[in-house]
Amino acid sequence: MSDHDHDHDDHAPTREDDDLELTEGEARFLALKSLLIEGGVMTADEIRARMEFNERGSPHQAARMIARAWVDPDYKARMLADTKSAAAELGIEATEAALVTIENTPERHNMVVCTLCSCYPRSLLGEPPAFYVSKAYRSRAVREPRKVLREFGVDIPDAVDIAVHDSNADLRYVIMPMRPQGTEGMSEEELAALITRDSVVGCALPVEPS
Amino acid sequence: MVDKLTTDIGGDPAGPVPQEDRDQLFWEKQMIAAFNLLQVKGVVVTDEFRRTVEEMPADYYANSTFYGRRLDGMVRLLIEKGVIDADTIEARTREILESGTRDHV
Amino acid sequence: MSEAEPSYAVGDRVRILDIGKPGHVRTPTYIRHKVGTIERFCGMFENPEDKAYGRWGLPPIPLYRVQLKQDDIWPDYDGAPGDVLEIEIYDHWLAPAGETT
Repeated sequence: MSDHDHDHDDHAPTREDDDLELTEGEARFLALKSLLIEGGVMTADEIRARMEFNERGSPHQAARMIARAWVDPDYKARMLADTKSAAAELGIEATEAALVTIENTPERHNMVVCTLCSCYPRSLLGEPPAFYVSKAYRSRAVREPRKVLREFGVDIPDAVDIAVHDSNADLRYVIMPMRPQGTEGMSEEELAALITRDSVVGCALPVEPS
Repeated sequence: MVDKLTTDIGGDPAGPVPQEDRDQLFWEKQMIAAFNLLQVKGVVVTDEFRRTVEEMPADYYANSTFYGRRLDGMVRLLIEKGVIDADTIEARTREILESGTRDHV
Repeated sequence: MSEAEPSYAVGDRVRILDIGKPGHVRTPTYIRHKVGTIERFCGMFENPEDKAYGRWGLPPIPLYRVQLKQDDIWPDYDGAPGDVLEIEIYDHWLAPAGETT
């Protein structure tokens, strides 16, 4: 087995599970992996490279885009019109075939769910949160969104409509939260830090500035 | 009348949404990468994978985990396509479990 | 190979059908038989119902986002009257509202 690599940033694959007992699931996967490599379907290097590629996806990428949209109305318009191109402008490569941004407004709050499986803009945001792929969220978000949001500590008043987006086919969604009050004069980097992973799915509001 | 797919759960009653988060294990990240490669290389198509998960028995779906389903669905699909053999992967899994070895390639 | 043309325009009232198709489909049961409004034409996409079985899914078919009032979906919906749901539906699962399956 090769040595541990040099220090990685937060997003690098870790080897913490060296201390975990080998489960049946992992053993099954390792068996599969060995068969795929032996069969010439893929190489270990390709797996490694793809893991690194996948690590680039993170909520911070969307946060950067949204922060830019908050300060630059023209960028916001471009992001709403063509999210993929707007990502590319910031050096972010999103590989989803169809990526759409939905904007929260004072009249309407938006949230996303994939009731059938776990569709999520992974190349942009990374892996979805555990709650997003849970059966409880997938079942209930479409039927009782306000109750689900209250479980997240988010209380949307009845005067604000809720739109739930079931990501059941080819589109992948980014929710653009509203810019919080009291953030005038903040830099894009400071603004991006307010935009959480859960706010980009519609299950949280951005952090209020302290 | 066609039966509802096991994955077709929108609107079904359910308990509280689990709030606790959980980092992906290293092997789960590897698995996702391997799965992505299979798609990129055209060995499998995402729609085929979804279909194999839907074909699993209802009680399997109810009692499975998200990553467990991805693995089982992928294995099932690769067996269907003749890329791997069911007995071979079973035997190899047993070997690995018995030896307790793991490699982080 | 000719491509299907989008049949619906934004704002059209449509009914989501239950076409009684076994196997892999992406139209959830909860939304079938409900009436909504075309919110946008998403474009032409390969048919997942065919791709799931190793076929090409061609020619591409129109996909729309349909907006429905939550009150029209769930008999016991407990939220605000302006609450909506938006979902992606392929052309062959739609009919003009007023037509029945």
